[in-house]
Amino acid sequence: MTAFLEVSNLTRQFGGLTAVRDLSFTVTQQEILGIIGPNGAGKTTAVNLMSGVIRPTAGTVMFAGQVITGQSPHRLVRSGLVRTFQSTTVFTDRTVYENALRGAFLSVYPGALHTFFGTARARRMRRETEQRIDELLEWLGLTDVAHLTAGNLPYGYQKTLGLVIALASRPRLIMLDEPVAGLSAEEADQVRETILRVRDSGITVVVIDHNMRFIKGLCDRVLVIHQGHELAIGKPLDVLANPAVIEAYLGRGHAAAHR
Amino acid sequence: MLSPIVLVQIVVNGVGLAAIYILVALGFTLLFGIMRVVNFAHGAFAMLGGYALYYLYSIYDVPYLVAAPVAALFVAAAALVLERFVYRRFYQKMFQSMIALLGLDMAIASTALIIWDSHERSIKPAVSDILQLGGIIVPADKLVIVAVAAIALAAFYLFTHFTRAGLAMRAAAQDVETAEAQGIDTRVTYQLSFFIAIFMAALAGGFYGQTYALSPFMGERPLMMAFIVVILGGMGSIPGVALGGLLLGLGESFLSTFYGSSVSVFVSFGAVILLLVFRPWGLLGTPEK
Amino acid sequence: MNTTTVSGLAAPRDGRALATGWPARIAIAGILALVILPLLPVGSFVLSIGTTAFITAIAAASLHLLIRTGHVSMGHAAFMGIGAYASVLVTMKLQLPFAAGLVAAFVAPAILALLIGPLVLRLAGKYFVLVTFLFGEIVRMVFVEWTTLTGGANGIPGVPPPHPRLLDPQAYYYFALGFAIVLIGFIARLLSSEIGRSIDAIREGENLAECSGVPVLRVKVCIFALSCGIVGIAGALQGHFIRYIDPTSFSMVQSLNLVVVNVIGGMYALVGPIIGTAFFMITPELLRDYVELQRVIFGIIIIVVIAFFPGGLVEIAQRRADALRGKRKVGP
Repeated sequence: MTAFLEVSNLTRQFGGLTAVRDLSFTVTQQEILGIIGPNGAGKTTAVNLMSGVIRPTAGTVMFAGQVITGQSPHRLVRSGLVRTFQSTTVFTDRTVYENALRGAFLSVYPGALHTFFGTARARRMRRETEQRIDELLEWLGLTDVAHLTAGNLPYGYQKTLGLVIALASRPRLIMLDEPVAGLSAEEADQVRETILRVRDSGITVVVIDHNMRFIKGLCDRVLVIHQGHELAIGKPLDVLANPAVIEAYLGRGHAAAHR
Repeated sequence: MLSPIVLVQIVVNGVGLAAIYILVALGFTLLFGIMRVVNFAHGAFAMLGGYALYYLYSIYDVPYLVAAPVAALFVAAAALVLERFVYRRFYQKMFQSMIALLGLDMAIASTALIIWDSHERSIKPAVSDILQLGGIIVPADKLVIVAVAAIALAAFYLFTHFTRAGLAMRAAAQDVETAEAQGIDTRVTYQLSFFIAIFMAALAGGFYGQTYALSPFMGERPLMMAFIVVILGGMGSIPGVALGGLLLGLGESFLSTFYGSSVSVFVSFGAVILLLVFRPWGLLGTPEK
Repeated sequence: MNTTTVSGLAAPRDGRALATGWPARIAIAGILALVILPLLPVGSFVLSIGTTAFITAIAAASLHLLIRTGHVSMGHAAFMGIGAYASVLVTMKLQLPFAAGLVAAFVAPAILALLIGPLVLRLAGKYFVLVTFLFGEIVRMVFVEWTTLTGGANGIPGVPPPHPRLLDPQAYYYFALGFAIVLIGFIARLLSSEIGRSIDAIREGENLAECSGVPVLRVKVCIFALSCGIVGIAGALQGHFIRYIDPTSFSMVQSLNLVVVNVIGGMYALVGPIIGTAFFMITPELLRDYVELQRVIFGIIIIVVIAFFPGGLVEIAQRRADALRGKRKVGP
């Protein structure tokens, strides 16, 4: 198994505070890796570091054999690494369709002059992208709401739309930051199904959450972060049985996790 | 050259400027910190304060120490009408407030132009003596200004540290939502802060008109200075205003003594732009989120 | 499942009404009216108002381009001034033809924008407003202080017209109209292309745009430079039209006027600044003898528009149109 995404000694300090400390792990192709940890453990910082939103103080990130440390997000999208945001992030005043089209920016953008003069190449790229987006919306069940304003949709739909925006750029690896936060149990189950289908279509997934039930039923492996550092990594059930994890992460929530 | 006497002179002048700047900027930062409005009309209220003082003191001969606060009170009370009909609509809407209050500034300044036309007036000095203390020359007028400003600032400090309403105001300046959750009546707090902010701007406007001259457009410079002080100290930070005002007042006094006033303006603007670019939350402010 | 219907749903392209359909017809009718106007017996005064309006429209539209990225500049007139001074100095001091002046008028502010853009465009919108506000003042002070080059507060009189024939007000009217059509047409096309889509995406969700592959900072810097370059051309057109430039023509008041034109018209559609310009140029004429009253009323209008119609006159028009259409609508 070769590593598709390889994180080595990743560290990030904010002033005197170390949010992520010496974090190393790998993700293999078409795997679903879950990252969990208590609030403030550094999960979101870790995703921000890997997706280029912030730069690490030290350490490297390799993606598909290339060092990508410190590259800006738009360049990472180009190489196939995309992330979603914790709070639903969609363009609220726009239609679902327009949202998806914006996610596909790179595959519609033929270069400044081509798009300015509306050349044949620009029109062809546009047609192909529109077709692909129709398929994508169909695949994730948003066709019926494609013409509605995104901000008026129920929360669950907005979460799915966030995923559509990310998938529209044809990623090879997708990072999901708390994809089920604020969703009901049924909606969470639907999102899980969707993520499994995304993986089955050949995309590697890194997912962050603290919903234990969701992570258990979704991930191939789980990485537990505590105080910005790796506490355990392995199969979900093994990790959750790890005494250190139970003590550090579950603590008083222990009983709840085993319900 | 930089003899001790010159140095003291520079410091005295600088503190005099700082007093005016702090008064103007304090109101500006209150409005920003609590209501999130960028009061582009702040200079206009300073201008109105100048005219109010002109009428009370220069025309009707009310004693200075009564005229200065009463003029400012009058402007602040009249401004409450604008609070009700204009400002209230833009609380917590920073961007809209900027543009709307630019419009208000335009309306007030142009109205002033209709009433008082563009020729400059002057307010007679509070005292015309010149004090000489071991080679240092200080117009007594300037000392009166510094003293009144100091009293106003001290009153503000006592108010915000020892009264219920004042504490509520300070809490709201730090975090409106939390303050509201703790049962602070934001409407009253807003009104009070607005009143105090305009009072201080009008008071400073009187001093400003006294130091320079009175005209419908005299508000531009105090507004600019309030901007700079508030950016220097950190938008919405009350201690930041004191620091920013002192830095700007002393810096301006020092630079204009040695290099001329345009250099001093260039330097202060340039410094503020650099600060905005690299530390937009100011020297004492805190970054958002 | 018929996919063509889904594609069809994207046809009403959000917020970009100017490209097709009846807005285009209105635009063409408007241009025709402006072309015919000088042929009527209107007098040189109207022509001069028209010329000024075209120049203002170019400047306002260039600011609109920047506003669409989410950054409102309060110092745009400073770049207009840089363009004006650049063109005037190139034609007067270097004795080069007007074409060279025009190039300088575009390049000088654009280069300055390229230099400061990467720094200031990282700032959130409100800080950008403050920086440009102060920057505008600094530029104005440079105009005043650098007397050997700029003539200081007295400005530079005796600016030559672009061509001797353009001393005729009617000729300059058409000259300025031509520039307005070309430059505003350029901006309209840019905004309706994929670049326009990425610009709107940046304004509405910068992080999301960046993570969808839009090189946010690069787009913003390029648009800022383009916007400043275009407003520089407007500055040159103004300088060679009035045949005199001085620092007050490019002060904060002018910058604010450009913002006001955009706000009154509507900030999120290109027709906004055009309608705003028309409003801004025509209303004062109705109150010509009362300049101060004019400013008072203007100030009040700004407050009312921002308080009740944040989308400007365009929004008011759209609401009325929607109301009319709603009556006729037969169903989805």
